Amino acid sequence: MKMSLKTLFSAACLGLCAGALAPEAALAHGEKALEPFVRMRTIQWYDVAWSKAKLNVNEEVVITGKFHVNADWPRGVAQPDATYLNVSAPGPVFIRTERYLNGQSSVSSSALKLGGDYEFKIVMKARIPGRFHLHPFVNLHDAGSVVGPGQWMEVEGDASAFTNQIKTLDGSVIDMETYGLANGVAWHGFWIALGSAWLLWWVRRPLFIPRYKMLHAGQDASLISPLDRKIGAAIIFAVPMIVFGANFVTDLKYPNAIPLQAAMDQIDTLPPAVDVGAVQVKIQRAEYNVPARAMIMTALLHNGSDHPVRVGEFATANVRFLNPAVVQPPQDEGAALAAREGLSIDTADPIAPGETRTIRITAEDSLWQRERLDGLIRDADTRMGGLLFLYDNAGQRYVSSVSAPVIPKF
Amino acid sequence: MTGKSLDIPARPYTGEKARLSRAYDYLILVLALFLFIGSFHLHVALTVGDWDFWQDWKDRQWWPLITPLMMITFPAAVQAVLWPNFRLPLGATLCISCLLIGTWITRFFAYHMWNFFPINEVLPATMLPSALVLDAILMLSNSLTVTSIFGGMVFALLFYPTNWPIFGMFHVPVEYGGAQLTVADLFGFQYIRAGTPEYLRIIERGTLRTYGQYATPLSAFCSALLCTLMYPLWWYLGKAFATTKYVKNI
Repeated sequence: MKMSLKTLFSAACLGLCAGALAPEAALAHGEKALEPFVRMRTIQWYDVAWSKAKLNVNEEVVITGKFHVNADWPRGVAQPDATYLNVSAPGPVFIRTERYLNGQSSVSSSALKLGGDYEFKIVMKARIPGRFHLHPFVNLHDAGSVVGPGQWMEVEGDASAFTNQIKTLDGSVIDMETYGLANGVAWHGFWIALGSAWLLWWVRRPLFIPRYKMLHAGQDASLISPLDRKIGAAIIFAVPMIVFGANFVTDLKYPNAIPLQAAMDQIDTLPPAVDVGAVQVKIQRAEYNVPARAMIMTALLHNGSDHPVRVGEFATANVRFLNPAVVQPPQDEGAALAAREGLSIDTADPIAPGETRTIRITAEDSLWQRERLDGLIRDADTRMGGLLFLYDNAGQRYVSSVSAPVIPKF
Repeated sequence: MTGKSLDIPARPYTGEKARLSRAYDYLILVLALFLFIGSFHLHVALTVGDWDFWQDWKDRQWWPLITPLMMITFPAAVQAVLWPNFRLPLGATLCISCLLIGTWITRFFAYHMWNFFPINEVLPATMLPSALVLDAILMLSNSLTVTSIFGGMVFALLFYPTNWPIFGMFHVPVEYGGAQLTVADLFGFQYIRAGTPEYLRIIERGTLRTYGQYATPLSAFCSALLCTLMYPLWWYLGKAFATTKYVKNI
């Protein structure tokens, strides 16, 4: 028994070491970590596109897309008074050179309006070669990050060829990759040399046992020599002189230095793109069928447009359930999160102009489980949300933001 | 202890005793080096954290308040051991040097090599001048009270002017995206970091307002006052833990 336990322990240690020596790359950014109701009912992403997926160091990729800020914002999530449109990546393998929200250039945080529609554009410049998974996402103050659709990017070239030159307001051009490094290292080196000299001054003589003995024998006066005292006095005088002198010179050298900037950007909302009124949708009941992995929504639809419309897509938390009977516009986002035949309607007939009809929409796919959205029924807030896309025969798209309490069916 | 042994003056060892005593010195020093590199670095990473990690966190208000207050802790505790027992006035310099060793290792290998941040974006601050003066004041005064009041104050007051020659140039203004930013702010915008969005920075927030646009002196003096209290607190913490009381029964 003793032997087998020992063997087991050794095997476990070996396994642990082997695992540590051969780590697997982490390929996710916590997209599924946030509670389903937060992912479904806060930032609702759509039409996200990437200008390219392969590029060289110093080349740029443009990410464009839209998001709707759900008006049925979860009560447990702080209001979006401070948010930051960000990009998740394994470190700054790209740099962000430009960012626009609703056409306005934005470099700081901003507040989002509930029910507001936003278009974004982010320009990224490749810095490090490799294959990286990138997502746009919105940091929500006190809530976490709501991640948008991801894309694999392949960067080729030489990292040392990367350049990032910026012109300051005093007219000088600086290289962000090396700016201030030599000066910082020099100052650190200077103080480290001085600190090391002080340490060596003491460490060179016998330390602990003899000094302890002498101290307790009442000979502590002899442990600090007059020269030690002189050096100590010199430190008290000279170090602040150097510090304040260098500080003064720096002030002279950079007279226009300013404090870190703390202003938030003010972003105006666009004219509504979601729930614009021509087509109105109200979810009357939503059931989640656990064994079938299907969300069944009973919806009251009113078609106020001039053309018959049909439900083409239900999108929630970056998962797209598509109705194959309706023509879909092409989109660039990862096909892995699209259930191409995941959406079905109980009637094939389109909703005629002026008609109000109750229909049953079924969004069915294992993606509910794979994306950990089925956990919604065990959350403290069991309301679902998403965007419903309807199309008329002329290709016009109507987007409706829907939400409803969910009843599980076991 | 007999009366006779007290008559013999204690003096540095000679011969084999001196060699063994010296070996013991080096053993303790090496252990202390690793102990303080690990523990003090962890303490600063957990308490000062982002303020020391990133250029765009090093503000004029909270950075000079938090950093000295959290960095006077270990120096005070180690001085409480090394000065009363050995008359070694190097506790503060030793701690800050160990912190810098740990910090530079992390910044280079973890932040730069592993996570691709340019090293100038993650330059650490230094408190070595403050530590040197703190050690010197303790040595010359041989007084906890004097060191708490004057040492604690100087420790905090020297922090910002020490680091301004390193970081001042990162506060040069830049026009970017239609706004005025510092070069430091621009690092935060360009070199993306997923976990630390811009709004999390604590810049000019709270009731510690500027006075005639001069925020730093107020923060520095506030920090100086708090350091005079933090120093004796950690001195006594160091004293309480530097005892063989807990290992007597082993």
